[in-house]
This record gives sequence, C-alpha cells and structure tokens, in this order.
Amino acid sequence: MKALVLEDLARNFGGLPAVDGIRLEAPAGRITGLIGPNGAGKTTVVNMITGLLKVTRGRIKFGDDDVTEADATQLARIGIARTFQNIRLISDATVLENVVAGFHRHETTGTFANLFGLPSAQRERRALEDKAMILLEQFGMTGLARHPAGGLSYGHQRRIEMMRALAMDPALLLLDEPVAGMNDSEAHSLADIFRNVARRGVAILLIEHNMRFVMSLCDHIYVLASGRLIAEGTPDAVGRDPRVIEAYLGA
Amino acid sequence: MMSFFHSYTPLFELALFNTLLAFSQYVVLRAGVFSLGTAAFAAIGAYVAAIVVTTYGLPFWIGIVLAIAIGAMVGALVAIPLARLRGVFQALATLALVQIVLSITLNWVDVTNGALGINSIPKTVGLVGLLIAVAIVTYFMAAIGSSSIGRAFDVIREDETVAVSLGISVVKHHFIAFVLSGAIAGLAGALHSYNSYSITPNEYGFNMLVIVLAMVVLGGRVSIWGPIVGAVILTVLPELLRGFQEYRTVVQGALLMASIIYLPRGVADTLIGAYRRRRIAEETSRMRETVTA
Ligand SMILES: Nc1ncnc2c1ncn2[C@@H]1O[C@H](COP(=O)(O)OP(=O)(O)OP(=O)(O)O)[C@@H](O)[C@H]1O
Ligand SMILES: [Mg+2]
Repeated sequence: MKALVLEDLARNFGGLPAVDGIRLEAPAGRITGLIGPNGAGKTTVVNMITGLLKVTRGRIKFGDDDVTEADATQLARIGIARTFQNIRLISDATVLENVVAGFHRHETTGTFANLFGLPSAQRERRALEDKAMILLEQFGMTGLARHPAGGLSYGHQRRIEMMRALAMDPALLLLDEPVAGMNDSEAHSLADIFRNVARRGVAILLIEHNMRFVMSLCDHIYVLASGRLIAEGTPDAVGRDPRVIEAYLGA
Repeated sequence: MMSFFHSYTPLFELALFNTLLAFSQYVVLRAGVFSLGTAAFAAIGAYVAAIVVTTYGLPFWIGIVLAIAIGAMVGALVAIPLARLRGVFQALATLALVQIVLSITLNWVDVTNGALGINSIPKTVGLVGLLIAVAIVTYFMAAIGSSSIGRAFDVIREDETVAVSLGISVVKHHFIAFVLSGAIAGLAGALHSYNSYSITPNEYGFNMLVIVLAMVVLGGRVSIWGPIVGAVILTVLPELLRGFQEYRTVVQGALLMASIIYLPRGVADTLIGAYRRRRIAEETSRMRETVTA
C-alpha cells in the first residue's frame, strides 16, 4: 500500500511553465481527482509521474521511495500504471493480445524458455490469456476478445486501455480522462470498477473533465489551471469554490 | 518428373537461402529495429564457414556452429552502441557495418583472398540441408513469436512509449533481436558457402541488402509467413521475367513499389488480416442469429 506524493513539481516547455510547482497527495485505497481546463497541465503531470517527461523541478515520491529520477520502465515495474488520454493501443492486435501485454511485469518465464518455445513459455501464455479473459468479463467485452482493437469504438478502446493498465496489477493507477466520449451509463458502470480497484488498496489518480463523474467518485480533488493548483478539497468544497468556477467558465 | 525437379533445384535452394536471410531481416523489423545489418552478418557467416573448411580443413559442421556463434556475437556487439539510435539512424549505422564488412572482405587479402573471393569450397550442403535449416529457424521464429519476447517485440514496434509504460525493456529486446538476426544470417551465409562452391565479397553488398529488405516489406513483418512469402516471390519473380531480360529490374521495381503502396502491411499480413476479419464477421452474424432465434 503506497501513496503518491508530489512536491513542488514543475515542468517547462521552451522556458514556459506547463506545470508550475504543484503539491499533491494520492493515498492508497482512495480515488483522488485532478481536474482543470484544457491545457492546465494535467497530462504533463501524469507524464512526469510515469517517467516519460523529466521534471524541471520538484520531487516525486512513491511510498518510501523517491522516484523522481527513475525511468519509465522501472516505474512500470514497481507498479505504476496509466491509461493514455489519446488512446494508444496496438490497433492490428486483438483485444486479448492488447490486454495480455499488460501482464508483462508479472511474466516469470526466462529468456531461454521463451527462445526455445519450451512448455513453460506456452503454459505462461495460456495462463495470461485466461487472466485477461477474466478482465474482459469484468468489462463486458468477452465477445470481442478476438477482434482487432483498432476497429472498435472509442468506448471499447478506452476500456481496453483500462484493462491493460489493470493487468499490471498496479499499486498506483493514473487514469487520464478514462471516460471521455462515453455516455453517463457507460461511465457509471466503470465507476463501480474504479471503486472496487481502490478498495483493494490501489491509489488512483483520476483526471477527468466530466465534473459529475469526478464529484461522485473522488474523496479529494485538486484543481489545476495554467500549471498551478488553484484549489483542493472535498468535492463539495471544490464545487463551490469561486476560483474553480471562474477557471472553468473563463476557459 | 525427377528431371523437372532437378532443373529447379538451384532455384529451390536459392529460395531457401533467401528465406533464411528474410528471417534475419524480419526478426529485427518485428522488434521495431530498422537494421540493414543482415548482409554484413551473412558475409561474416559465409567467410567464417569457408575459411574454417578451406584454410583449417575442419569439418563443415564446425563451420556452421562457428558462423552462427560469430554472427550472434557481432549482432550483440552492434546492438550495444546502437541502443540509443532509432529509425533512419539505425539504418545508417548498420549500413556502415555492411560497408565495413565489405571492405574487410575485399582488402584483408591474406585471409579472404580479396575480390577473387574463396573458391573450391567443398559442397557439403544441398537442398535437404537447407530445408532442415529453414524448418528449424521457422520453428524458432514461431516459438519466439508466440512467447513473451514476441509479444514485447510487437508492442515495442507499434509504440515504444506504451512498451516502456508497461515495463518492457526496449534495450533488452532490441539486443535479443540483433543477436537473433546475426545468428540467423550467420547460418544463412555458412550454408550458402557450403552450397555454392565459391563466395565473393560483392554478393554481400548493397544488392543483397535491398533484396532482403524488399522480401520482408513485400511479404509482411508481423506473421512468420511474411518472410517466407516474400522470399519465395522475390526468388521466383526474376525467373518468370526471364523473357524480358532488359526490363526485368524495371518490372521488379515497379511491382515492389505497387505492393508497398497498395499492400503496405505486406502480402501475408494483409491476407491473414482479411481472413481474420471474415471469420469474426461470420462469428458475429452467427451469434446474432442465435440471439434472434
Ligand atoms: N511535449 C510538449 N512540448 C511542448 N509543449 C507541451 C508538451 N506537452 C504539453 N505541452 C503544453 O503544456 C501545456 C499543458 O498541456 P497538458 O497536455 O498537460 O494539458 P492538459 O491539462 O492535459 O489538457 P487537456 O485537458 O486538453 O488534456 C499546454 O500548453 C501544452 O501545449
Ligand atoms: Mg491532457
């Protein structure tokens, strides 16, 4: 059970700050919200946490470890998983193959067994496919297992992103606008899944434009505008905050 | 019937040799490495194998084992400094390797006999030997392709950002791809030496590099059928165009261009994709029928 802590985190692009010294905490077992208008810097924060972008300033802590300098592969291996706002799937591969890819960090078969096609490698593949099918069932997509991911609707593709991230069995899950483009009932069914994941002790950082969705799910919400934190607190408090209302209406 | 078969034996052998080269090219492309090193690895294998037999008088199987091992080693040595390079930069660096190997085989006359090449290599590998080699390499490609390594290759090739976000080590898998590419091409070169009596440096130059790349692009670079289909087409095609001696390369080039434009995923991968889509469509309609019934 590990918490994510950001301290004075900042990132510049061409000298201009996209994220300008934010402090944030995402405790284990909770869903923490990160909201803000377009271009506020939300995705940039996620990219820094996952090691895809170097930080300009500040620290990232995960549990007892300082992971500011860790690279993306290491961070994934210690259990930091994410979904991509601009869906990134292997479009020619099947839904099942895309989800199985998420299990990579749990694979135990050695390189030798994989190179020689030993029974242990084949057993592992079948076991991972079975585990992936369980996720598919949870997300109501069993019937689509053998479909190429690229041909499916946005809603389905976002679900594949989530299944792939959950396959990593993460300790920290970063969801970058996971229900964008979905209708309320679709979003609702995912909300239950997120709650269950958090209940298992996973720290979830949820980025979302759909205010109703964030408000109903999160225990604590941070509001970002132009790279700075302008408010934080419970959903109710944030919803009433005049600075938040202004940032959203002004955008 | 037998004589028909006999007259085509050299063509079959060439197709099998090309299939091995295509596998060497395929394995790097599948992992998202734009290596052109296959011609260099094959040259090294061919010369190692020829020298082992002609200069040292050792049995041919030692030559084959050494050619595979040294091919793999050179692949590993190349992979390390090239780990940070991508795309055209990988292509240029491995192209430089081909040039280096070419100039060594041309200029290190004491060992390689220079431009004259190495002649009177005893013929110890025939059609059957090549068939066995292709069967073994195909098995390995299939095994690796459906293993954790093949899955990682696919993710890295399609999207490196996703790969690292899933904890997949790009450096490790590019290294494996280079080693496999070197080993397979080393084997191909050795078998070619033992199959063709003589080798010359220029066989392993720019021409081979282009043809081998074309085979995989034309055939497909995901399914293991790709390199096989590509190698067969580009081996047989020049024979079919024999009548048009002058236009042969033009026709071949035009066909290649057309296939890249209209079948960018290659013949095999396109066909396999179409087949899968049809099966899914059938399945879906069958499911609808049972639901309505
Ligand atoms: N790689 C990059 N290079 C240069 N500028 C960038 C880069 N990535 C983001 N930016 C800039 O940083 C700012 C923050 O972008 P970011 O994508 O983090 O916003 P966001 O809050 O995720 O917005 P949205 O709600 O639209 O997804 C924007 O002004 C954007 O143009
Ligand atoms: Mg964003």
